[in-house]
Amino acid sequence: MAAEVLRYVQAALADEAGCADAHAAALATLCDALAFTHPDVLLAAVDVAYFAARLPAFLAAGQNDLPVFAARAIAEAVDILPQWAAVFLQHGAVEALRDRLLAADNIELAEECLRALDEISQECPDECLRLGVAAAALHLFDFLSASKQKMALKIVTQLVQECDDADVPKAMEAAPALCNLLQSSDNSILGSALSCLGMLAADAHGKAEHMDRLCESKVVDTAMGLLDKDGWKILDDDTLPGILALLKHIASVSEKAVNSLFDLGVCDLLKQMITCYSCSPSGSDKLEMLVELLYQLMQPLGTSGQMNDTTEQNAHVDQLASIVTLITQVAKCGALSSVCYRCVVVIGNIVELSTPTFLVGLQKTANLSSFLTCMLARKNRHIVFQTLEVSKTLLKKHHQFFFESFTKEGVKHAIGTIQAQEKNRNSSERLKRKNNTQEWCMCFDLDLDSSSTDGCKIENNAILNLAEEIKKSFVVVKANKKSPHRFGCVIKFVRDFFARLNRHALTVLTQDPDLCKELSDISRKFLSDELPSTSTFAFAKSGSAKYLVDYLSNRAYLKSNLNNCEDLTEQLKEVQHRLQKFTHLALKVSNGSSVKPLGILVDKLLDALHMSYESFPVILSDHGQRTRESTMIPLRHSRTQESESLDIKFVKARREKVLRSYGGVLPVSLSSKPGEMEAILWPVICSKGNAQGSSRLMFSYKGTKLQPSATIFESLVRLMNAGQSDIVIDSSFWDEEYRISYNRNKSENIPSTSSCNTRLFAVQEKLEQSIVKDPFFCSLFLGKLPGDVDESDPSYDLLFTLKVLEGLNRFSYQLSMDQQICKFAEGYLQNLDDLKVTISPIPQHQFMSNLLTNKLELQMQERLFEDGLVPSWCVYLAETCPFLLSFSARWKYFCLTVHRSFMGDETSIPDGSSTPDEESAAPDEEEEESDAQNEASKKTRKHKVTRDNILESAASMMTKHGSSTKTIEVVFVGEVGTGRGPTFEFYSTVSHELQRLGIGMWRGDNNARKAGEAGFVRSSFGLFPQPWSSVGTSTRGIELSDVVKKFKLLGHVVARALLDGRILDIPLSKAFYKIMLGQELDIYDIPSFDPELGKTVLEFQALVKRKKFLEKSSEKTPNRNADLSYKNVRLEDLCLDFTLPGNPDYELVPGGSEKIVTLENLEEYVNLIVDATLKSGIVKQVEAFKSAVNEVFALKTLRMFDEEEMERILCGEQDSWASSKLEDHIEFEHGYDASSPPIKSFLEILREFEREDQRAFLQFTTGAPQLPLGGLASLDPKLTVVRKQCDGNIDNELPSVNTCRHFIKLPPYSSKEIMLMKLKYALAEGLGSFHLS
Amino acid sequence: MALRRIVKELKDLQRDPPTSCSAGPVSSNDMFHWQATIMGPSDSPYSGGVFLVTIHFPPDYPFKPPKVAFKTKVFHPNINSNGNICLDILKDQWSPALTISKVLLSICSLLTDPNPDDPLVPEIAHMCKADRTRYESTARGWTHKYAMG
Repeated sequence: MAAEVLRYVQAALADEAGCADAHAAALATLCDALAFTHPDVLLAAVDVAYFAARLPAFLAAGQNDLPVFAARAIAEAVDILPQWAAVFLQHGAVEALRDRLLAADNIELAEECLRALDEISQECPDECLRLGVAAAALHLFDFLSASKQKMALKIVTQLVQECDDADVPKAMEAAPALCNLLQSSDNSILGSALSCLGMLAADAHGKAEHMDRLCESKVVDTAMGLLDKDGWKILDDDTLPGILALLKHIASVSEKAVNSLFDLGVCDLLKQMITCYSCSPSGSDKLEMLVELLYQLMQPLGTSGQMNDTTEQNAHVDQLASIVTLITQVAKCGALSSVCYRCVVVIGNIVELSTPTFLVGLQKTANLSSFLTCMLARKNRHIVFQTLEVSKTLLKKHHQFFFESFTKEGVKHAIGTIQAQEKNRNSSERLKRKNNTQEWCMCFDLDLDSSSTDGCKIENNAILNLAEEIKKSFVVVKANKKSPHRFGCVIKFVRDFFARLNRHALTVLTQDPDLCKELSDISRKFLSDELPSTSTFAFAKSGSAKYLVDYLSNRAYLKSNLNNCEDLTEQLKEVQHRLQKFTHLALKVSNGSSVKPLGILVDKLLDALHMSYESFPVILSDHGQRTRESTMIPLRHSRTQESESLDIKFVKARREKVLRSYGGVLPVSLSSKPGEMEAILWPVICSKGNAQGSSRLMFSYKGTKLQPSATIFESLVRLMNAGQSDIVIDSSFWDEEYRISYNRNKSENIPSTSSCNTRLFAVQEKLEQSIVKDPFFCSLFLGKLPGDVDESDPSYDLLFTLKVLEGLNRFSYQLSMDQQICKFAEGYLQNLDDLKVTISPIPQHQFMSNLLTNKLELQMQERLFEDGLVPSWCVYLAETCPFLLSFSARWKYFCLTVHRSFMGDETSIPDGSSTPDEESAAPDEEEEESDAQNEASKKTRKHKVTRDNILESAASMMTKHGSSTKTIEVVFVGEVGTGRGPTFEFYSTVSHELQRLGIGMWRGDNNARKAGEAGFVRSSFGLFPQPWSSVGTSTRGIELSDVVKKFKLLGHVVARALLDGRILDIPLSKAFYKIMLGQELDIYDIPSFDPELGKTVLEFQALVKRKKFLEKSSEKTPNRNADLSYKNVRLEDLCLDFTLPGNPDYELVPGGSEKIVTLENLEEYVNLIVDATLKSGIVKQVEAFKSAVNEVFALKTLRMFDEEEMERILCGEQDSWASSKLEDHIEFEHGYDASSPPIKSFLEILREFEREDQRAFLQFTTGAPQLPLGGLASLDPKLTVVRKQCDGNIDNELPSVNTCRHFIKLPPYSSKEIMLMKLKYALAEGLGSFHLS
Repeated sequence: MALRRIVKELKDLQRDPPTSCSAGPVSSNDMFHWQATIMGPSDSPYSGGVFLVTIHFPPDYPFKPPKVAFKTKVFHPNINSNGNICLDILKDQWSPALTISKVLLSICSLLTDPNPDDPLVPEIAHMCKADRTRYESTARGWTHKYAMG
């Protein structure tokens, strides 16, 4: 049948004299036939050569429909039988198609031609390219339909992909059209055009003349146009890397392109982008690309600019200099060696091209020397070598200046160290042939054109030689210069200061006011005058961290005898006193400076910490292959493959006599620690089975003992790669079998710290001051960081110091308030109204280390991270010093690790309570997703909940299924909706219902409650549990057991929301989050959720202290005149009795409603109120909450977050601030309307505010940090902005507020920047009085 | 506790009544809801007026301030049309050492000395600052109209 048709067509076409219409009809038939005929039949029936010869002619010469059909026929033919493409090509079909396309007489025809060309070019790309199809395909681009536009781009992509060098010029013909397409608004077109250009650039790699062609087509200008004016912010995640890659390729060879990039202001752009991405959690990939681009920008400058003419400076360098500071920051914090290397090279090139005077300026702004020291501390030989080169150049440019700065910042010292190391290395290498696990060399990665495949480009002696050369040049200077450097003085001062601190560490200062004053004078001098100008090197070198932490913690005392409990109490008081003094000094802004000394101190410590890069080695299983996108946070991962494990043969140590030998090889999972293996081995190898104790076995590998705190896997890897910092595991590692020997642990070292611990706790219980009860102070008074740590590691003291400083910053309110109360007690403060805290802490993010965050991020991209490839430093930092890591890194860490603990729990619990049978017995309540093939259904499970009785229904569902490993989804009974919608609604509805008035959960529930009043608990300072007396179990018709049940539900809901990534809408107080995080609350926390009560209780406390102080001192000098009234009122006249404020039924002592508070029993009263409010009154509720969370996952895993972060996790970034709503819910009056310029800036500022700024702003303007349920819209009265009348210079004024009316009086500042600055200042100052306003 | 304190304050008020004001519970079965009268101070435009004030005690009185509001209309920069008073001791400067009698006295002195720099009603504050005579005559007019019935 088909064959007949084809024969007919052939005949019709053969009739050369036949009219065009006949030919067209024949071709149409042919097309149909081709489309519907089986290839085999075609192959047999059709004479390809004949058609191939005829069709192009029709194409070229035909009129009307004829060429259309001809083109379609070619397309159909090649589509069905690709091997025919070559035949058509041979007979000039491509040329004909191309010419038709270029002739552009008919769009329909053009589209058919495109289709045909697409088919052919798939088969014969090179030939098509040579025939100029690439340019032709884009010829009529704008007129084509969307699908054909895509096809045209597809053709170009096919053609330019990996084309021959010789064909590059032809490919370049498409460049101008592609450049035009970069302006397309369609993202997919933009993307394809970019990738085509990228391929073009890659094809032309190394050929400047081709690249110049590319440049002529304005590609640079267009690409920059896309990025310019914040354009890069709106580009999607595929486009931006495309553009950067393109620019990088072009810049790598074309000097012309580099010039035009500079002319177009690439530096400013890079500056903005680097600033943005270096603080964004997901920016590391982009940062890497930006640095690569920079690197390429510098290369041509470096090679072509061989003008050693130091008087004239390349104009571009001026521009680049503005980003030098940024580059040094990126390098210091870079976890990837390649990034650091490139940064060093970039800096090196800049240095090379700069004039000496310019460099002197650069040293002052960007501190190049400190950067060099930091880089020299890295172990990577490439980085070290390059850094040495830079040092050499700097010295050459301006010897005197840089010699001094090198000495001050420690470059000189670092070079000395390197020299010694290299000498060692050389001698040891001669002894044993190089280790087989050579450090992964970056040569290939960095310079693609270096074709030498044999080893590293840096020769063995190169570093040593270079170091020695630099050293020699130092000597020259020394001979010239004899006067002592300032550096010596600084380091001496720092040393002296800390030596003095240390000497005083053992004396009790409180008893010697003179000494006390002297010490605080010198501390003040040190903190505000010396510290800012001290170099990090001098700071670290003088051992400051160690001295400081000795002084501020109990460490100095630990050496002394601890047996005397009285002594210990004194010591703890003394340490606390020091902390308070230091906190006050460190957080006080010295006049003229805007920075708090603590901020500078922390910066120095972090800088010093970054030098001990090696203490935190990243371990990757296979280099270059990162398997997880840095932006991705997996909430629940499906374990598709078997987890990796190591085969380990356990053998008895040779000397071991008592234990039996163990025969076999055990698979050891990556997360196993020696202790776990001991549990498996012990029953088998123990002969008597009587020995008890914590660690009974000692494991060693090739004679080295394995650390009990690290996983066996980590210990092995590190032992095998000794001397390296970051480790890439060889693939052969997995196949081998390892022998680990064991013997009995003979050294019976009972941890001496534990007994010390218990004694400390006993003392703390005794101290009436609850300030020492928080876990932070425990670690402080133990004088060491918690956990098993190597105290000899150089980073230990730095970490401990940072931990102490972070703690005193966090507790600054408590410490300072306590100090104020003492002052009042001792009569230094007269008035209770003066009981105010005047210092405010520095922002928490100042404690964050970018380097460590980046390292953790890199480690978490490792595929085996979930399986347990977690180096011990990650665990350690997350548990002990979480503040060093960014919030997003910790959240990712939590997601990746909590899941494991969660799975573990599930398997260890035997199926008891909820067996499958039981579930199937109640089919109405829940149903399994029926579609078993659906991958998602294996991980989620739907549960039914009734809307009418949502709390009970939710409680019973959660009790049954709360601890399920599957994601919980919710369906409302009687409603059809399923999936995310109802589930989200479920969580927010439940969290609303838990805020109802009259359910007795929260404080403020019984305030102003009229009978049967519906509505929600108002909680401007966040919800905190309402105390319930342990005597009465029901009040006003509410049963305590019901309240406890609701807290249990809250616990379940909170835990599930965390695990399943749901969001709650419940404004819990900071104090409640603190409970969740295992922190101890004390009297100083009360103001945070109940300012009025808190203020009064603190005033009472101060009065109690004063009374005690007077009693003590009156033994010596009787002083009866002192004022012990409460604000001139006798306490009896306050008419307070021993019941809980607001709840007359809650008696603090039996018969308390008849017991009146007097000065004599005030202390008892205060203690009872604090206890009822924070402990005994809420213990049942809190326990129910905690145990409910623990049923789902271990609550303590959350301790790496702080209370603000918990709120962010649980309640999400609330949309109360959504930009569209802002104008709708803010009113503008008295000289302002929505269009006045200051209002526009004001709204912009508000929108850009981070969560913390928002809170501060709300606190400032409304007096409460939280908006009522419903956000800004339900604020009553509405937030109103009015113009502030100013007499003098407007820009010197501060905004002010009226919290009664929610007014903010805003001066019409001259610019947005000034407004932001003034607002921030007002917010920060307002925040200091947060607790007591 | 709150009740004991409120009863004591009532007794103190009855024993030693302030010259320009009086206060007491609205009904004998709810001690938490009072009504007070304030005589307009003689050296102010409110002179001659008798102003009604409602007082609600919170259950945790005296740890929390009482809610005090004018029932009589007053033309004053720190008192709005709902009778709400912007007074620091009724907000963050509250202390258990204060009593209703002290609060009422403070309100009296607020009537004498308005605080236009921190207004609740900006329009009145503006008038008070720019055109004192007009402000005073308006206030007198309002007093005559609303507070002398």
